[in-house]
Parts: sequence; C-alpha cells; structure tokens
Amino acid sequence: MNTPQFNFDLIRNSNIWAILESDYNLQANLFSFLIHFLLFIFMIFSIEWQTKIPNFAEVELWDAVPTQIKNKQIKTEPIKNKKIKKTKVAPPKIDKQQLKLNEEAEIKLKKKKIAEKKALAKKKKLQEIKKLQAKLLKQEEIEKLQDKVLEQEKLDQIKDNLLEQERIEKFQDSLRDEELKKKPSIAIEADKELLAGINSGELDRFKALIQQKIQQNVNNQLCGLDRVELEFEISLMPTGDLIGEPKMTQSSKIASCDAAVERAILQSQPLPIPKDKKLFKRLKDLKLKFHPNGHYDL
Amino acid sequence: MYSLFYGILLLFSTPIYSLEVIEILGGKASEIPIAIVPFEGSGNISGQKAHQIISSDLNRTGLFRPLNIGGISNPPSNDININYTKWSAMDAQFIVVGKVESENRNTGNIKITWSLIDIFKEKTVISMRYIGKKSQYRAIAHKVSDNVYEHLTGSKGVFHTKIAYVKKFNDKKYSLNVADFDGFNSKPILNTTQPIISPRWSPDGEKIAYVSFEKKKPVIYIQNLRTGKRTLLANFKGNNSAPAWSPDSRKLAIVLTYNKNSQIYIINADGSGIKQLMRSKSINTEPSWAPNGEDIYFSSNRGGSPQIYKVNIENDEITRVTYEGKYNLSPSISYDGKLLLFLTQDQGKFKVAIQNLISNQILKISEGPSDESPLFAPNGHLVLFAYKDYGKTTKIGTVSINGLKRVPISVGNSIIQEPTWGPINN
Amino acid sequence: MYIGGIKLKKSLLLVSLIGLLVAGCSSTPLDVSTEPSDSSYYGVDAATAEALGLDELRGNVLLSQRSVFFDFNKYDIKPEFQDLIGAHAQYLNNHAPARMTIKGNADYRGSHEYNLALGQKRSVAVKEALNALGVDDSQIETISYGEEYADQECQADACGQDRRADITYEVE
Repeated sequence: MNTPQFNFDLIRNSNIWAILESDYNLQANLFSFLIHFLLFIFMIFSIEWQTKIPNFAEVELWDAVPTQIKNKQIKTEPIKNKKIKKTKVAPPKIDKQQLKLNEEAEIKLKKKKIAEKKALAKKKKLQEIKKLQAKLLKQEEIEKLQDKVLEQEKLDQIKDNLLEQERIEKFQDSLRDEELKKKPSIAIEADKELLAGINSGELDRFKALIQQKIQQNVNNQLCGLDRVELEFEISLMPTGDLIGEPKMTQSSKIASCDAAVERAILQSQPLPIPKDKKLFKRLKDLKLKFHPNGHYDL
Repeated sequence: MYSLFYGILLLFSTPIYSLEVIEILGGKASEIPIAIVPFEGSGNISGQKAHQIISSDLNRTGLFRPLNIGGISNPPSNDININYTKWSAMDAQFIVVGKVESENRNTGNIKITWSLIDIFKEKTVISMRYIGKKSQYRAIAHKVSDNVYEHLTGSKGVFHTKIAYVKKFNDKKYSLNVADFDGFNSKPILNTTQPIISPRWSPDGEKIAYVSFEKKKPVIYIQNLRTGKRTLLANFKGNNSAPAWSPDSRKLAIVLTYNKNSQIYIINADGSGIKQLMRSKSINTEPSWAPNGEDIYFSSNRGGSPQIYKVNIENDEITRVTYEGKYNLSPSISYDGKLLLFLTQDQGKFKVAIQNLISNQILKISEGPSDESPLFAPNGHLVLFAYKDYGKTTKIGTVSINGLKRVPISVGNSIIQEPTWGPINN
Repeated sequence: MYIGGIKLKKSLLLVSLIGLLVAGCSSTPLDVSTEPSDSSYYGVDAATAEALGLDELRGNVLLSQRSVFFDFNKYDIKPEFQDLIGAHAQYLNNHAPARMTIKGNADYRGSHEYNLALGQKRSVAVKEALNALGVDDSQIETISYGEEYADQECQADACGQDRRADITYEVE
C-alpha cells in the first residue's frame, strides 16, 4: 500500500478537492478512515442512547401548615337591650279614691313590671349564659376537631415523608442502575465475583501464607550485603506443587543468590492453596518479587 | 490504519487478568543441608578421610550443615543413577560423592574423582578429577571443599590457606608456627626465649612480620617464608610494634613511641622512608590497612576510652568509626572494605564483633569473656581469633561471620595465641 | 560445568601450585638465644660505683622500691607513690651518669598491642613525674612489656600487681 505523498506544491497551487479528485489512493484511504471513524463514533455513542440522567433531583414539597381548615371567627351577637318604650298616657280625672286605687294599681303594676323585668332579665341572663355555654361547647368542639385535624395532619406528614423517602430511594436506585449499565465490563465481572462469593480478604490471607512460607526459606546470606531484587514467575497445581520450574524474570546478578532464591521456592512446596476453585484460579499463576536484603522502603 | 483501529478497539475491550504479585522481603540465615558421602576407596588412607575433611571444612563456615549419613547402604561414588527421592527424603539439598584410586603404582600417586549434585534440580553441578601424591591427600580434599564452597556461595574458599600463630610452652620458650588453616601440618619458623606478638602475613604470601622481645624491648622483624631469612624492620628508641601490611605488600604501618606515647607511622618494607601519621597525647595503636590503600583503621583513647578511628593517608583526616560501647579495640577490615571486625567489651566481657560499615549494624559473634586478636579470613567470611579456654589456657579457633559456628583449631595443649591468616592462592 | 569429564591440565597445574606451597614452608626454624634476662652488671670498678652512688642505691629503703601501681586502664600516678618517685628523682639528679629504664606493664585483659601501649603510658607517666622534679630525658628510657609478663590466670579484679611500671638501672 502506497502511503500518500503529500505534494505541497499541489496544495499551494490547487484546492483540496482537486487533490482528492486526482489522488485515488488518498481518496480510498480517506474514505476508509471515514468509515472507521463513523464506526468508532457509533461505538462510543451507541452506548449512550438510554435515559438521560438529570443532574438534579426533583422532589415534591408539601406545605408545613394545612391550608384547608381556617380559624373561623365565632361571632357572638351582643345582647340587644330591648328598650322599654314609654307610652304617653293621657292624665285621668282626678278621683282621689280612684286615684288611690289607681295609684295602688299602678304601684302593683309597676312592681309587676319590675318583677317581670327582673324575670326577663334573669331569663335573658340565663339565655346568655346558655348561649355562652353553647358557645364554649362549640369552641371546645371546634378545638377538638382542630386537634384531630392536626393529628391527622401529622400522620399525613409522616406518611408523606415516608413516601418522599421512598421516592428518593427509588430515584437513587434508578440512578445507580443507570450507572451500572454504563460501566465497562470489569465492574460487572467484579460484581459477578462478589455474587459468586470470592472474598478479597481470603485472597490476601493466602498470599500472606505463601509469602511467609517462602520467606522462611530464603537464605539471604548468599545474596551479599547490598540491596538486590529478584523476580520469579511460577505456576501451581491445585496440590500446591509447582508446574515445571520457577521462571526467573529478574536476576540479582549474583549467581549464588539467584540459586538460593530458586531453592527457597522449590523448598516451599507444597504452597498453601485455597480449596475454592475460583480463588485458586486467581493464585495459580504468581509473580514473586524478592528483596532478600530488605531495604524495602528505600 | 487498520492497526490504529484495532488498537482503539482493544482499549475498550475487557482486559486480561494480570498475575497476582507477592512481595517477599528479607529471608532467614540458614545452613544448606549437604550430604558428603564417604569416598569410595578412601578406606586405606590413614588419618582423616576425604569426606570428614570436607564436612569439617564446610561446617566451619556456618553456611552448611553436613548431614550425618553414617550407615548408608551402597553409597554412590559418582553421579550415575542417583536416587534423588531418597536424598530428598533425608532433606539433603546437595550431595558430594567421590572416589579415591591409585593413579600410578610406581609413583604412588592417587587420583580423586568427585561430583557435586543438586538434589532439587536433579542434576550435577560439577565433576572434577585431581591427581597428586599420597601426602597431598588432605590438600586435595581441601580443594574439593573450596570448589563446593565457591559453586554454592559465589565466594572463594579458604580451605587451602595457611595460618600462623604463637605458641608459648612456658615463660622461657616461645615459637612462631605455620599450619594449615585447620591446624594440621604445623611447623615452627621461629624459636625464642622471649615473647612474640602481632605476627602479620603479607598479602603476597611471601613474608611474615612480627614483634619480638628478644632484644629486651619490642622490635619488628620481617621473615621470608621461602628462604627462612629475616630482616630487622624497626628498632627505634622506645617500642616498635603492631606491624600492618599495605594491600600491595610494599609498606607497613607500625607503632613507635620514641620515649613518648604510641603513635602510628608508615615505613617501607625495606625499612626506609619513615613518615609520621599523627601527633597526639593519647594512645594510638593497632593499625589495620583498608583494601583501598588510603585509609588506615586504628584504636585510640583520644575520646577518653579506647575506640576505633580511621586516618586518611593523603590528607591526614581522622574520623571516628565506633560509637557503641565503651571499649573497642583491634580493628580488622574485610577484603571488600565493607565489614569491620573488632574486639568489644560488653558487660565486662571481651567479645568479637562485626560492624557493617555501610549500615553501621553491629553483630557480636563470640561470647568472651577473654576473647582477643580477631582477624578476617582472606575471603572475609570467616574469623580467626584467640580465646581463653575455661578461663586458663588461651586457644585459637574460627567463628563464621554470621556467628552460627565457633570451632576450635587444635594445635596442641600449650598456650596458643596471636594468630594471623595467610592469603588465598589463585 | 563438567559432567564426569577430566580436566587433566588444570589438575596438574593445581598439583604444582600445592607443591610450591609445601616447598616454601619447609625451611628450618630460626633459633634465637638471648642475653640473660636482667641487665644489671655486678662487676664494676670502684670509681664507677662511687660515681653512681651504688651504695646509696642499694642501701636506701625508698630507692629499693621499684614499682608504681595503677588502676585498670589508668596511667595517672597515685599520691602514695610520690615519695618513691621523689627519691629516685633525687638519686638521678645527684648522679649524672646514672641511666634508668622504666618498664610499663598491664594486666592481660584486652589486646596485646593495646596493653603494650597502656604499659608505655604508665612508664611515660613515671618519666614525666621525674621530669617535673628536674630529671632530664637523657637519663631515662621508657619501654613497655604490655601484658607479656603478666599473670594470665588471675581473676580480673585480682590482677592489680600486673598494672605497674618498674624502675631499673643500667648499673645497679
């Protein structure tokens, strides 16, 4: 395949389309690139066609105070004083006896009227008291009603809060679901593992057991006094024995040290191996890094 | 173009599982279990057999644990048809097998063939054959030890080397002796009626310098081992002592007093060119040359009590080296310059200690109470020192630098002291 | 690596090397016989004896005391030895031809060389005490025996007699 030669003179002298038209190689390559590019774009954006993720949470709000029942003004009608009309009466003929009788009758009548008045007043007072009582009762009732309503309100609010939480959680779950759907396959694998029951703590424990067993056998007297590093790769059978020989991928540059570390690996067979198949799968090929003379943190 | 597309596609595909990584930090000093099988045909050799010499050598190092294989039926003598399972069941990681034969009936020469076998990997590490006189039997066995040691540790073996030491028969009889490092084949090279101290073997292996009191005061001699002749290196006014060879065997650091306090000087091996390294009112003694040829370690009480310091020959700069403990003496530096060997007083007892000059970690490798004269073997992995046996007679022995094995060197019942170690012969 | 192979050349070379080693060590030992251990001369003429005040040297109580003792690892002169030093200083000052050697010693603890230096410090301490009383260095030599003549079997605290400086004269 000939790589397109860019002729700068051509560019200076003519336009891009002319170049394209003339150079068929270039055409083909550009077309190829375009197709690949489109595929690439499709690949990326094809993942994203599902629900858009809003970047804020929508929440319905309830008022703190109920608006339905309002405090009604209970009006009490003032007791109207009935006016006692004074009727003008023509003065009668003065008959003394008659006058006396009349006077007596008038006093009796007056007394009667006062008593009636009193009785009426009493009556009215009683009526008033009764009214007040009624009013009070009514108020009590109303208050009780109000309390009831308030309680109801509270309950309603709790209910609403719960509903609200539910709603938020549901929303978050849906968000998470979206995220998960978006993540690359490793995460899914990890989750699958978690589901499958592989505990990362167990993995570390076996790594530590292997590390301890080999370390006890590293005769670092044969590695001189300076800081040296070695690397070996090994493959294990489910019994903990090695398959084949340890493969040295980094030498200490000291032959007796390389040999001593290799011996340490061989001597440590069988290595502690988990019975769980999935865990063993993770441990069956190992890279061992040695620092026989310490100086790990330098 | 297409590769680019597939590349991008791969980015979005499920990744392959990467290997679990386990970091292993540090280790544990241990001895390699090794079975040294009696060599076939060694029965008619008098004295120690090859497998006993090799076991004894490797045992001293603190790096090997020779297995007891007494009573093994049909011991192998070569690397054919090795029953790896059986050896593995005995926990042996390596085995040494061999055969002693007559090479030539006329000359009486012997032939020793041997193999070192790796039990884990089920293969032979090395096979060799030696031919020599019957009298060289021990020397050949030591050579086998050297080879096994080198192959498994990467360091040169010292089993073929020599040591020298002072033997005190009584107050009127002393000798300076040379022997195999394990004490065998001992021979005197000097007999006197006065004390001998501080013998030091030159790095080139040809001479031993020592201090003798035969002139009623300490003076330094250099004796040639080949010719047996000696020269008087230093007889200045006052004391002449503590000779220490430079790495090239051409100079010595010595201690002179000139009627005042002990100071360190450098002098040519032929006695010329004396140069004073320091002037101080304190005690300065026990020089020990570092392998770089530039620094000399020494002990001094300039800080109030004896500690170890070093002086740079070029600029005369003095630096303190030991800080732990109140009493540190007798410095000796390993051939690679990384370890300092010295004597330290710990709760009233004099013990041998090693300090890592890089990390400054200190390890005490002997128990005391009256240990002295510690010196490195030429490979820096063994230490020679003197100690009081049951509080009375002084003896010499080796201790491994990991402190795991202390083994005496048997050279008779007299007082044995002031040892020195000869170099490796390549 | 050799599997059952023979390296003939190498083994022969090794053998010859081993041979060299053994040959180099086969020389006969040096025997050194030394002079009698003390350096005093009894046979001197009367004039010399007079000049050196040998009668006084031999008769005086203080002058017959020849040892100064020290504490462990120390070389300072303790007060109880001042009289002794004073007497010897006086003798030296009065007899110009007299020659003294101070020999320092130490107990066996520690290393031979450090004890040699410690013994030297002790003999120098005595010398400097004499210098302070007017004695010139030309009349004094200081040497050390370190632990070489010390009792090797004493228990650490009971080794006091080894921690000393001894005064001797060329002619006694």
